[in-house]
Amino acid sequence: MHPLRIALAQVAPRLGDLDANLERHHALIQDARAGGAGLVVFPELGLTGYQLQDLAAEVAMRLDDPRLARLAAETRELSAVVSFVEEAGDHRLFIAAALLEDGEVRHVHRKVFLPTYGQFDERRFFAAGDVVRATPSRLGLGIGIAVCEDFWHLQMPQLLALDGAQVLINVSSSPGRDLAARNEVGLGTATSWRTLMRTYAQLTGSFVVFVNRVGVDESMTFWGGSEVIGPSGEAVFSAPFFDDDLYLVDVNLDEVRRERIALPLLRDERLELQARELGRIIAERAGMAADTTADPGAEPGLDVSPRTVAPAEPIRLRPRRRVARGQP
Amino acid sequence: MSAVQPLPTDDAGRPLFELPDELAIDTDVARRVISGFIQGQLRQAGFERCVLALSGGIDSALVAYLVAEAIGADRLLCVMLPYRTSSPASRSDAETVIADLGCAGELVDISPMVDGYFGSNGAAGSGGEAVSEASAIRRGNFMARMRMSVIYDRSVTFGGLVVGTGNKTESLIGYTTVFGDNACAFNPIGDLYKSQVRQVAAAMGVPRQIIAKAPSADLWPDQTDEGEGAFSYPVLDRVLYWRIDRRRETDELVAMGFDRGLVERVERLVATSEFKRQVPPVAKLGPRTAGVDYLYPRRRPGSARS
Repeated sequence: MHPLRIALAQVAPRLGDLDANLERHHALIQDARAGGAGLVVFPELGLTGYQLQDLAAEVAMRLDDPRLARLAAETRELSAVVSFVEEAGDHRLFIAAALLEDGEVRHVHRKVFLPTYGQFDERRFFAAGDVVRATPSRLGLGIGIAVCEDFWHLQMPQLLALDGAQVLINVSSSPGRDLAARNEVGLGTATSWRTLMRTYAQLTGSFVVFVNRVGVDESMTFWGGSEVIGPSGEAVFSAPFFDDDLYLVDVNLDEVRRERIALPLLRDERLELQARELGRIIAERAGMAADTTADPGAEPGLDVSPRTVAPAEPIRLRPRRRVARGQP
Repeated sequence: MSAVQPLPTDDAGRPLFELPDELAIDTDVARRVISGFIQGQLRQAGFERCVLALSGGIDSALVAYLVAEAIGADRLLCVMLPYRTSSPASRSDAETVIADLGCAGELVDISPMVDGYFGSNGAAGSGGEAVSEASAIRRGNFMARMRMSVIYDRSVTFGGLVVGTGNKTESLIGYTTVFGDNACAFNPIGDLYKSQVRQVAAAMGVPRQIIAKAPSADLWPDQTDEGEGAFSYPVLDRVLYWRIDRRRETDELVAMGFDRGLVERVERLVATSEFKRQVPPVAKLGPRTAGVDYLYPRRRPGSARS
């Protein structure tokens, strides 16, 4: 038996108010400890708020910032994931999520995928992280940290699990949208997320811990709905939508072993095959190798030829056999 | 969740309004989001109260109910702003809302303001003889801007933010007066189509006669939105939803069964009113220009009224 109590800090940060948010983090870490939690997780940009725009540089912290050190100092015999704007030594600004353990910054993940479409404009204000690493932790098993949009790309949960993570933690500032009544939970965003997280948990045989913020920044309302998904793909806990609260969830980390033996999908991943095929696709996309799977007439680097984008009639890949019929 | 209440019916058991399937929303989620939105806007601005112009129509009535749900009716002031030709029924419906919610209500007759400019009873106003023959549209726009002036003044005396009451349908087709009825500090229903306004209004207990009556800007007697624009809201809402929210092309809409003439007319209305939905552009001259490359959240530390 390898029990862990996880505290999900589903909070509403104050936009741009680092001091107020730091104070709230200190208080909630203490609440989590008092509640017997071994891991407490805060949402994406929980220390700063989401819709920062040009405020991003003003609330940025370097990793040696004393405010971060003071927060880390709260984590003796505790693991905490907190998220903030990190200013790197070269002055790039990243959306960062840090694992704080035993008084130290143990690991930092810099958001790799920055949505810049629809209502999102992250690439304008932030640099994208280039590194994906699982990290060992005091919990006795590997942790993989991802930030929001990182989980809308298949490679993230896969890379983290293959790199040794058994608990995948996603911290988010996901704004709710699409309130269609035909949706089972009344919120399209929530349904999409739930589908993804259950799929990732099952395909990687890992716990998925999702902490999404609540509250309002400008037009956006963040929906919460934080969850813990077991490695079988079933939800262990689903927090209410929109409520600001700290939720304690008990899990048994031995579930990972049981699930990975019963359904050894991760064992059977074909890394060398994937790397080989990716190498080929990368070379073909760069126009450095002939594209063996491209349509006839496609430009180098493009799989699809202009005339096949909207075909007037089905494309025939092979000449049709001529069949003589009805001839005298 | 996912609450879809049955639609309210009239005495003959017919639904009070038509709600196209694809437009039906979860009204519980909508109310929760809007409530938090209103609270958040006020907190970030350092205000505790709201003011709105209550016409007696469904849009402003719904906003009054939403504000009351979010912050309590005791923090809401509804101002009725009739012109002398405004429908008496509108006034009585507005009074019903104020009484039902138990919020503060005020009446400001804008007739002297409007007549003072356009003139009345044969006497020229401050606009001179030239404006006395002004069209109904000009007069209507002027009335909307007089209402805006009054409501912003009352926002000072009551200490409340002005809440917008325009819906998504009228915003998209430009059926608004720029700097008039679209002026506000924030708008809780600006992303709800008219059909969805009706659905949420029904779920919140807005009086039935307000939900059932034909929508009208009430700028002249017996004016109705659907009469003036020659459309029906459920169809217009569907065209806008598929065209804009679901990115369908004109030909796809026609293939779905919509009238091509209607679709093309709606597209023209949307395109010609783009300016009404945006902040006016500033000529870019300096190194950093508001709205172009000086981009801050509207509310941030230090921006709240202390």
